[in-house]
Amino acid sequence: MRYFNFLIVLFSFSSTFAQRNCEAYKYNRDTLKYEACKKAMEIKGYYQFSREYQSVLDESIEIDPTFDYAYWAKSIAYLKSGDFVTWKKLIDKAVELNPKEYLGYRGWCRYQFFRDYKGAIKDIEKLDSLVDYDIGQSQNGTYHLNIAKGLCFKAIGEKGKAIAILEKQINQNEEENIVGAYDYLHLGVLYLETENYEKAVEIFIKQSEINELAENQYYLAMTYLKIDNPVGYKSCLQKAKELYIEGRKMSDPYSNPLDKIFLEDIENEIKMAYNNS
Amino acid sequence: MNKSFFTIIVLLSFFLSCQSEKKVDDKEKYLRWVGDIEPNDQLDKTEFIVCNGEDNIFQYFNLGEGPVYKGEKSKILNTFKSKYRPIPDKNQNGLIRIRFIINCEGKAGRFRILQSDYDYQEKEFEKEIVSQLLDITKGIENWEVLKRDNVPVDYYMYLIIKITDGQLAEILP
Repeated sequence: MRYFNFLIVLFSFSSTFAQRNCEAYKYNRDTLKYEACKKAMEIKGYYQFSREYQSVLDESIEIDPTFDYAYWAKSIAYLKSGDFVTWKKLIDKAVELNPKEYLGYRGWCRYQFFRDYKGAIKDIEKLDSLVDYDIGQSQNGTYHLNIAKGLCFKAIGEKGKAIAILEKQINQNEEENIVGAYDYLHLGVLYLETENYEKAVEIFIKQSEINELAENQYYLAMTYLKIDNPVGYKSCLQKAKELYIEGRKMSDPYSNPLDKIFLEDIENEIKMAYNNS
Repeated sequence: MNKSFFTIIVLLSFFLSCQSEKKVDDKEKYLRWVGDIEPNDQLDKTEFIVCNGEDNIFQYFNLGEGPVYKGEKSKILNTFKSKYRPIPDKNQNGLIRIRFIINCEGKAGRFRILQSDYDYQEKEFEKEIVSQLLDITKGIENWEVLKRDNVPVDYYMYLIIKITDGQLAEILP
Protein backbone atom coordinates (compact mmCIF):
# COMPACT_ATOMS: atom_id res chain seq x y z
CA MET A 1 0.00 0.00 0.00
CA ARG A 2 2.82 2.32 0.91
CA TYR A 3 4.54 1.53 -2.39
CA PHE A 4 1.28 2.23 -4.24
CA ASN A 5 1.00 5.64 -2.59
CA PHE A 6 4.61 6.30 -3.52
CA LEU A 7 3.84 5.68 -7.19
CA ILE A 8 0.79 7.93 -7.10
CA VAL A 9 2.89 10.80 -5.78
CA LEU A 10 5.48 10.28 -8.48
CA PHE A 11 3.01 10.29 -11.32
CA SER A 12 1.35 13.40 -10.03
CA PHE A 13 4.70 15.13 -10.52
CA SER A 14 5.68 13.56 -13.82
CA SER A 15 3.65 15.96 -15.87
CA THR A 16 5.70 16.18 -19.02
CA PHE A 17 4.26 13.33 -21.02
CA ALA A 18 3.69 15.22 -24.23
CA GLN A 19 2.12 12.85 -26.71
CA ARG A 20 3.55 12.90 -30.22
CA ASN A 21 1.13 12.26 -33.07
CA CYS A 22 2.67 9.18 -34.64
CA GLU A 23 0.01 8.99 -37.34
CA ALA A 24 1.52 12.09 -38.96
CA TYR A 25 4.67 10.09 -39.74
CA LYS A 26 2.56 7.33 -41.23
CA TYR A 27 0.71 9.87 -43.35
CA ASN A 28 4.04 11.17 -44.61
CA ARG A 29 5.14 7.58 -45.28
CA ASP A 30 8.05 7.82 -42.89
CA THR A 31 7.71 4.24 -41.69
CA LEU A 32 10.85 4.20 -39.57
CA LYS A 33 9.86 7.29 -37.63
CA TYR A 34 6.34 5.94 -37.28
CA GLU A 35 7.68 2.74 -35.71
CA ALA A 36 10.09 4.68 -33.47
CA CYS A 37 7.24 6.93 -32.43
CA LYS A 38 4.90 4.05 -31.65
CA LYS A 39 7.62 2.46 -29.54
CA ALA A 40 8.34 5.76 -27.73
CA MET A 41 4.69 6.18 -26.83
CA GLU A 42 5.02 3.03 -24.70
CA ILE A 43 6.58 5.26 -22.03
CA LYS A 44 3.08 6.25 -21.03
CA GLY A 45 2.50 5.12 -17.47
CA TYR A 46 6.19 4.93 -16.57
CA TYR A 47 7.94 7.49 -14.39
CA GLN A 48 10.45 9.62 -16.30
CA PHE A 49 13.27 8.49 -14.03
CA SER A 50 12.51 4.79 -14.30
CA ARG A 51 14.53 2.06 -15.96
CA GLU A 52 11.50 1.06 -18.01
CA TYR A 53 10.92 4.57 -19.36
CA GLN A 54 14.57 5.00 -20.34
CA SER A 55 14.79 1.52 -21.91
CA VAL A 56 11.68 2.04 -24.06
CA LEU A 57 13.21 5.24 -25.41
CA ASP A 58 16.51 3.47 -26.11
CA GLU A 59 14.57 0.97 -28.19
CA SER A 60 12.86 3.83 -30.01
CA ILE A 61 16.25 5.36 -30.82
CA GLU A 62 17.48 1.98 -32.03
CA ILE A 63 14.60 1.88 -34.49
CA ASP A 64 15.29 5.40 -35.75
CA PRO A 65 18.33 7.28 -34.39
CA THR A 66 16.95 10.49 -35.92
CA PHE A 67 13.75 10.49 -33.84
CA ASP A 68 14.24 13.71 -31.87
CA TYR A 69 11.41 13.16 -29.38
CA ALA A 70 13.12 10.15 -27.81
CA TYR A 71 16.29 12.12 -26.99
CA TRP A 72 14.25 14.94 -25.50
CA ALA A 73 12.10 12.58 -23.43
CA LYS A 74 15.19 10.75 -22.16
CA SER A 75 16.87 14.00 -21.20
CA ILE A 76 14.20 15.13 -18.71
CA ALA A 77 15.21 12.89 -15.82
CA TYR A 78 18.87 13.84 -16.21
CA LEU A 79 17.91 17.50 -16.17
CA LYS A 80 15.84 17.13 -13.02
CA SER A 81 18.48 15.09 -11.24
CA GLY A 82 21.07 17.77 -11.96
CA ASP A 83 23.14 15.59 -14.31
CA PHE A 84 24.06 18.44 -16.64
CA VAL A 85 26.57 16.35 -18.60
CA THR A 86 24.17 13.62 -19.76
CA TRP A 87 21.29 16.07 -20.10
CA LYS A 88 23.26 18.31 -22.42
CA LYS A 89 24.35 15.44 -24.67
CA LEU A 90 20.76 14.24 -25.06
CA ILE A 91 19.10 17.62 -25.51
CA ASP A 92 21.81 18.70 -27.95
CA LYS A 93 20.91 15.72 -30.09
CA ALA A 94 17.22 16.67 -29.98
CA VAL A 95 18.07 20.27 -30.91
CA GLU A 96 20.35 19.12 -33.72
CA LEU A 97 17.53 17.03 -35.19
CA ASN A 98 14.71 19.52 -34.62
CA PRO A 99 15.97 22.97 -33.66
CA LYS A 100 12.66 24.79 -33.97
CA GLU A 101 11.03 22.37 -31.54
CA TYR A 102 13.73 22.27 -28.86
CA LEU A 103 15.87 25.42 -28.96
CA GLY A 104 13.44 27.38 -26.81
CA TYR A 105 13.12 24.48 -24.39
CA ARG A 106 16.89 24.03 -24.08
CA GLY A 107 17.38 27.76 -23.61
CA TRP A 108 14.79 27.88 -20.86
CA CYS A 109 16.25 24.85 -19.06
CA ARG A 110 19.75 26.32 -19.23
CA TYR A 111 18.37 29.31 -17.38
CA GLN A 112 16.00 27.55 -14.98
CA PHE A 113 18.25 24.70 -13.85
CA PHE A 114 21.80 25.89 -14.42
CA ARG A 115 21.64 29.70 -14.58
CA ASP A 116 23.53 29.45 -17.87
CA TYR A 117 22.56 32.97 -18.89
CA LYS A 118 24.68 33.32 -22.01
CA GLY A 119 23.71 29.86 -23.26
CA ALA A 120 20.03 30.60 -22.72
CA ILE A 121 20.24 33.92 -24.57
CA LYS A 122 22.02 32.22 -27.46
CA ASP A 123 19.36 29.51 -27.78
CA ILE A 124 16.39 31.87 -27.53
CA GLU A 125 17.90 34.29 -30.04
CA LYS A 126 18.73 31.43 -32.41
CA LEU A 127 15.13 30.22 -32.22
CA ASP A 128 13.89 33.74 -32.90
CA SER A 129 16.06 33.90 -36.01
CA LEU A 130 14.71 30.61 -37.33
CA VAL A 131 10.97 31.18 -37.03
CA ASP A 132 8.52 33.83 -38.16
CA TYR A 133 6.00 33.08 -35.42
CA ASP A 134 5.91 33.97 -31.72
CA ILE A 135 8.61 31.99 -29.92
CA GLY A 136 6.19 31.29 -27.08
CA GLN A 137 6.39 30.54 -23.38
CA SER A 138 8.89 28.81 -21.13
CA GLN A 139 8.26 25.11 -20.55
CA ASN A 140 6.56 25.77 -17.20
CA GLY A 141 4.45 28.59 -18.66
CA THR A 142 5.72 31.18 -16.17
CA TYR A 143 7.37 33.48 -18.69
CA HIS A 144 7.34 34.40 -22.32
CA LEU A 145 10.76 33.31 -23.59
CA ASN A 146 11.63 36.95 -24.30
CA ILE A 147 11.07 37.76 -20.62
CA ALA A 148 13.40 34.87 -19.72
CA LYS A 149 15.93 36.28 -22.18
CA GLY A 150 15.62 39.71 -20.56
CA LEU A 151 16.25 38.21 -17.12
CA CYS A 152 19.39 36.56 -18.49
CA PHE A 153 20.64 39.92 -19.77
CA LYS A 154 20.01 41.38 -16.32
CA ALA A 155 22.00 38.56 -14.74
CA ILE A 156 25.02 39.26 -16.93
CA GLY A 157 24.87 42.95 -16.05
CA GLU A 158 23.12 44.34 -19.13
CA LYS A 159 20.26 45.98 -17.28
CA GLY A 160 19.39 48.57 -19.94
CA LYS A 161 18.93 45.82 -22.48
CA ALA A 162 16.92 43.77 -19.98
CA ILE A 163 14.56 46.69 -19.31
CA ALA A 164 14.00 47.29 -23.02
CA ILE A 165 13.19 43.61 -23.62
CA LEU A 166 10.85 43.33 -20.63
CA GLU A 167 9.03 46.58 -21.44
CA LYS A 168 8.44 45.50 -25.03
CA GLN A 169 7.26 42.01 -24.14
CA ILE A 170 5.06 43.18 -21.27
CA ASN A 171 3.34 45.67 -23.61
CA GLN A 172 2.64 42.81 -25.97
CA ASN A 173 1.47 40.58 -23.11
CA GLU A 174 -0.88 43.31 -21.90
CA GLU A 175 -2.39 43.62 -25.37
CA GLU A 176 -3.01 39.89 -25.42
CA ASN A 177 -4.07 39.84 -21.76
CA ILE A 178 -1.44 37.24 -20.83
CA VAL A 179 0.84 39.06 -18.43
CA GLY A 180 3.01 36.55 -16.57
CA ALA A 181 2.75 35.97 -12.83
CA TYR A 182 6.06 37.73 -12.10
CA ASP A 183 6.50 40.00 -15.15
CA TYR A 184 5.78 43.35 -13.46
CA LEU A 185 7.78 42.39 -10.39
CA HIS A 186 10.95 41.70 -12.39
CA LEU A 187 10.60 44.95 -14.34
CA GLY A 188 9.98 46.84 -11.10
CA VAL A 189 13.15 45.41 -9.56
CA LEU A 190 15.08 46.50 -12.66
CA TYR A 191 13.68 50.04 -12.32
CA LEU A 192 14.62 50.04 -8.64
CA GLU A 193 18.15 48.86 -9.41
CA THR A 194 18.57 51.54 -12.07
CA GLU A 195 17.21 54.26 -9.75
CA ASN A 196 14.02 54.86 -11.71
CA TYR A 197 11.94 54.93 -8.53
CA GLU A 198 8.79 56.52 -9.88
CA LYS A 199 8.37 53.83 -12.50
CA ALA A 200 9.26 51.17 -9.95
CA VAL A 201 6.43 52.20 -7.61
CA GLU A 202 4.00 52.34 -10.52
CA ILE A 203 4.80 48.84 -11.70
CA PHE A 204 4.93 47.23 -8.24
CA ILE A 205 1.38 48.54 -7.74
CA LYS A 206 0.40 46.86 -11.01
CA GLN A 207 1.95 43.61 -9.76
CA SER A 208 -0.13 43.90 -6.56
CA GLU A 209 -3.28 44.10 -8.67
CA ILE A 210 -2.64 40.91 -10.61
CA ASN A 211 -0.64 38.73 -8.22
CA GLU A 212 0.38 40.06 -4.82
CA LEU A 213 3.62 38.59 -3.50
CA ALA A 214 5.89 39.03 -0.51
CA GLU A 215 8.71 39.94 -2.90
CA ASN A 216 6.61 42.67 -4.47
CA GLN A 217 5.95 44.36 -1.13
CA TYR A 218 9.58 43.92 -0.12
CA TYR A 219 10.92 45.64 -3.23
CA LEU A 220 8.22 48.31 -3.00
CA ALA A 221 9.42 48.93 0.57
CA MET A 222 13.00 49.26 -0.68
CA THR A 223 11.82 51.76 -3.28
CA TYR A 224 9.98 53.79 -0.63
CA LEU A 225 13.18 53.78 1.41
CA LYS A 226 15.01 55.34 -1.53
CA ILE A 227 12.41 58.08 -2.04
CA ASP A 228 12.27 58.87 1.67
CA ASN A 229 8.80 57.51 2.45
CA PRO A 230 9.36 55.86 5.85
CA VAL A 231 5.69 55.12 6.44
CA GLY A 232 5.35 53.28 3.13
CA TYR A 233 8.67 51.53 3.75
CA LYS A 234 7.66 50.07 7.11
CA SER A 235 4.12 49.26 6.10
CA CYS A 236 5.26 47.36 2.98
CA LEU A 237 7.82 45.38 4.97
CA GLN A 238 5.12 44.27 7.40
CA LYS A 239 2.91 43.27 4.48
CA ALA A 240 5.82 41.41 2.92
CA LYS A 241 6.30 39.40 6.10
CA GLU A 242 2.60 38.54 6.35
CA LEU A 243 2.47 37.47 2.71
CA TYR A 244 5.59 35.37 3.09
CA ILE A 245 4.18 33.54 6.08
CA GLU A 246 0.92 32.96 4.18
CA GLY A 247 3.00 31.35 1.43
CA ARG A 248 2.33 34.09 -1.12
CA LYS A 249 5.88 34.23 -2.45
CA MET A 250 7.76 33.40 -5.61
CA SER A 251 8.24 29.69 -6.12
CA ASP A 252 9.31 27.09 -8.62
CA PRO A 253 9.25 23.32 -8.06
CA TYR A 254 12.84 22.91 -9.22
CA SER A 255 14.72 26.10 -8.44
CA ASN A 256 14.66 29.48 -6.71
CA PRO A 257 13.37 32.17 -9.08
CA LEU A 258 15.40 35.27 -9.83
CA ASP A 259 14.54 38.18 -7.48
CA LYS A 260 13.22 35.79 -4.84
CA ILE A 261 13.72 36.95 -1.26
CA PHE A 262 13.65 34.99 1.98
CA LEU A 263 12.02 35.56 5.34
CA GLU A 264 15.43 36.37 6.80
CA ASP A 265 15.82 39.24 4.30
CA ILE A 266 12.48 40.73 5.32
CA GLU A 267 13.10 40.32 9.03
CA ASN A 268 16.57 41.85 8.82
CA GLU A 269 15.13 44.81 6.98
CA ILE A 270 12.35 45.21 9.55
CA LYS A 271 14.98 45.24 12.32
CA MET A 272 16.90 47.94 10.47
CA ALA A 273 13.74 49.96 9.87
CA TYR A 274 12.87 50.05 13.55
CA ASN A 275 16.44 50.42 14.82
CA ASN A 276 16.98 53.47 12.63
CA SER A 277 13.71 55.20 13.48
CA MET B 1 17.41 -29.53 -47.32
CA ASN B 2 17.30 -30.75 -43.75
CA LYS B 3 20.85 -29.56 -43.22
CA SER B 4 20.03 -26.09 -44.59
CA PHE B 5 16.94 -25.94 -42.42
CA PHE B 6 19.00 -26.89 -39.36
CA THR B 7 21.62 -24.24 -40.19
CA ILE B 8 18.92 -21.56 -40.48
CA ILE B 9 17.42 -22.58 -37.13
CA VAL B 10 20.84 -22.45 -35.45
CA LEU B 11 21.63 -19.03 -36.94
CA LEU B 12 18.19 -17.74 -36.05
CA SER B 13 18.51 -18.96 -32.46
CA PHE B 14 21.95 -17.37 -32.22
CA PHE B 15 20.60 -14.09 -33.62
CA LEU B 16 17.60 -14.09 -31.27
CA SER B 17 19.73 -14.92 -28.25
CA CYS B 18 21.98 -11.97 -29.09
CA GLN B 19 18.93 -9.74 -29.31
CA SER B 20 17.56 -10.85 -25.98
CA GLU B 21 20.97 -10.47 -24.33
CA LYS B 22 21.18 -6.97 -25.72
CA LYS B 23 17.81 -6.13 -24.18
CA VAL B 24 18.90 -7.51 -20.85
CA ASP B 25 21.98 -5.30 -21.11
CA ASP B 26 19.80 -2.27 -21.80
CA LYS B 27 17.73 -3.00 -18.74
CA GLU B 28 20.80 -3.59 -16.63
CA LYS B 29 22.51 -0.36 -17.54
CA TYR B 30 19.92 1.57 -15.56
CA LEU B 31 19.33 1.48 -11.86
CA ARG B 32 15.80 1.76 -10.48
CA TRP B 33 15.84 5.46 -11.36
CA VAL B 34 18.14 7.88 -13.12
CA GLY B 35 20.41 9.43 -10.52
CA ASP B 36 20.02 6.67 -7.93
CA ILE B 37 23.03 6.31 -5.66
CA GLU B 38 23.92 2.79 -4.56
CA PRO B 39 25.55 2.36 -1.14
CA ASN B 40 29.33 2.03 -1.29
CA ASP B 41 31.29 0.90 1.77
CA GLN B 42 34.43 2.60 0.45
CA LEU B 43 32.78 5.99 0.18
CA ASP B 44 29.90 6.13 2.61
CA LYS B 45 29.64 6.31 6.36
CA THR B 46 28.11 3.09 7.60
CA GLU B 47 25.90 4.88 10.11
CA PHE B 48 23.92 6.57 7.35
CA ILE B 49 20.76 4.63 6.56
CA VAL B 50 17.60 5.34 4.64
CA CYS B 51 14.45 4.90 6.71
CA ASN B 52 11.91 3.59 4.22
CA GLY B 53 13.95 1.29 1.98
CA GLU B 54 15.89 1.82 -1.23
CA ASP B 55 12.76 1.59 -3.39
CA ASN B 56 11.01 4.43 -1.63
CA ILE B 57 13.46 7.31 -1.99
CA PHE B 58 11.87 10.39 -3.55
CA GLN B 59 13.38 13.30 -5.46
CA TYR B 60 13.30 16.66 -3.64
CA PHE B 61 10.70 18.01 -6.06
CA ASN B 62 8.33 15.03 -5.74
CA LEU B 63 6.85 16.52 -2.59
CA GLY B 64 5.81 19.72 -4.32
CA GLU B 65 7.66 22.16 -2.10
CA GLY B 66 10.49 23.05 -4.46
CA PRO B 67 14.05 23.07 -3.18
CA VAL B 68 13.80 23.59 0.57
CA TYR B 69 16.58 24.14 3.07
CA LYS B 70 16.64 24.19 6.83
CA GLY B 71 16.75 27.90 7.60
CA GLU B 72 16.05 28.65 3.92
CA LYS B 73 18.56 28.96 1.13
CA SER B 74 20.16 32.06 2.60
CA LYS B 75 21.60 29.88 5.39
CA ILE B 76 23.23 27.53 2.87
CA LEU B 77 24.63 30.48 0.92
CA ASN B 78 26.07 32.02 4.08
CA THR B 79 27.60 28.70 5.11
CA PHE B 80 29.41 28.32 1.80
CA LYS B 81 30.45 31.97 1.63
CA SER B 82 31.93 31.90 5.12
CA LYS B 83 33.68 28.54 4.85
CA TYR B 84 34.94 28.34 1.28
CA ARG B 85 38.46 29.59 0.70
CA PRO B 86 38.76 30.63 -2.97
CA ILE B 87 41.55 29.14 -5.05
CA PRO B 88 42.17 31.94 -7.57
CA ASP B 89 42.88 30.27 -10.90
CA LYS B 90 41.67 31.34 -14.34
CA ASN B 91 41.28 27.68 -15.33
CA GLN B 92 38.89 26.72 -12.56
CA ASN B 93 35.53 27.36 -14.20
CA GLY B 94 32.36 25.31 -14.43
CA LEU B 95 29.77 23.38 -12.51
CA ILE B 96 30.14 20.98 -9.61
CA ARG B 97 27.12 18.93 -8.59
CA ILE B 98 27.04 17.26 -5.21
CA ARG B 99 24.16 14.78 -5.11
CA PHE B 100 23.13 12.99 -1.95
CA ILE B 101 20.28 11.45 0.00
CA ILE B 102 18.52 13.11 2.92
CA ASN B 103 16.87 10.59 5.19
CA CYS B 104 13.72 10.83 7.27
CA GLU B 105 15.70 12.38 10.13
CA GLY B 106 17.10 15.18 8.00
CA LYS B 107 20.58 13.61 7.91
CA ALA B 108 22.53 13.50 4.63
CA GLY B 109 24.67 10.72 3.19
CA ARG B 110 25.97 8.99 0.02
CA PHE B 111 27.51 12.13 -1.44
CA ARG B 112 28.56 11.89 -5.11
CA ILE B 113 30.31 14.43 -7.32
CA LEU B 114 29.82 15.41 -10.97
CA GLN B 115 31.99 18.08 -12.58
CA SER B 116 31.94 19.91 -15.90
CA ASP B 117 33.16 23.09 -17.53
CA TYR B 118 30.69 25.79 -18.55
CA ASP B 119 30.18 23.98 -21.88
CA TYR B 120 28.87 20.94 -19.97
CA GLN B 121 31.96 18.87 -20.83
CA GLU B 122 33.17 16.66 -17.99
CA LYS B 123 36.36 17.89 -16.35
CA GLU B 124 38.15 17.67 -13.05
CA PHE B 125 38.54 20.71 -10.86
CA GLU B 126 41.48 21.21 -8.53
CA LYS B 127 41.10 18.69 -5.72
CA GLU B 128 41.23 21.45 -3.13
CA ILE B 129 38.14 23.10 -4.60
CA VAL B 130 36.13 19.89 -4.74
CA SER B 131 37.18 18.66 -1.31
CA GLN B 132 36.28 21.98 0.28
CA LEU B 133 32.82 21.99 -1.29
CA LEU B 134 32.25 18.38 -0.32
CA ASP B 135 33.37 18.97 3.26
CA ILE B 136 31.16 22.06 3.60
CA THR B 137 28.16 20.10 2.31
CA LYS B 138 28.90 17.15 4.59
CA GLY B 139 29.25 19.59 7.47
CA ILE B 140 25.64 20.76 7.17
CA GLU B 141 24.18 18.71 9.99
CA ASN B 142 20.47 19.20 9.52
CA TRP B 143 18.48 19.27 6.33
CA GLU B 144 14.78 19.84 5.92
CA VAL B 145 12.69 16.79 6.77
CA LEU B 146 10.13 16.32 4.00
CA LYS B 147 6.91 14.50 4.74
CA ARG B 148 4.32 12.64 2.78
CA ASP B 149 0.96 12.22 4.58
CA ASN B 150 2.74 13.38 7.73
CA VAL B 151 5.27 10.56 7.41
CA PRO B 152 8.93 11.67 7.04
CA VAL B 153 10.45 10.37 3.83
CA ASP B 154 13.92 9.88 2.32
CA TYR B 155 14.75 11.96 -0.74
CA TYR B 156 17.49 12.83 -3.20
CA MET B 157 18.83 16.36 -3.12
CA TYR B 158 21.65 18.05 -4.95
CA LEU B 159 23.60 21.27 -4.89
CA ILE B 160 25.14 22.70 -8.03
CA ILE B 161 27.98 25.05 -7.28
CA LYS B 162 29.12 27.30 -10.09
CA ILE B 163 32.80 28.16 -9.91
CA THR B 164 34.36 31.05 -11.82
CA ASP B 165 38.15 31.57 -11.65
CA GLY B 166 38.18 29.37 -8.55
CA GLN B 167 35.62 31.55 -6.75
CA LEU B 168 32.06 30.69 -5.76
CA ALA B 169 29.78 32.21 -8.39
CA GLU B 170 26.36 30.72 -7.62
CA ILE B 171 24.77 27.88 -5.68
CA LEU B 172 21.73 26.11 -7.11
CA PRO B 173 18.92 25.13 -7.00
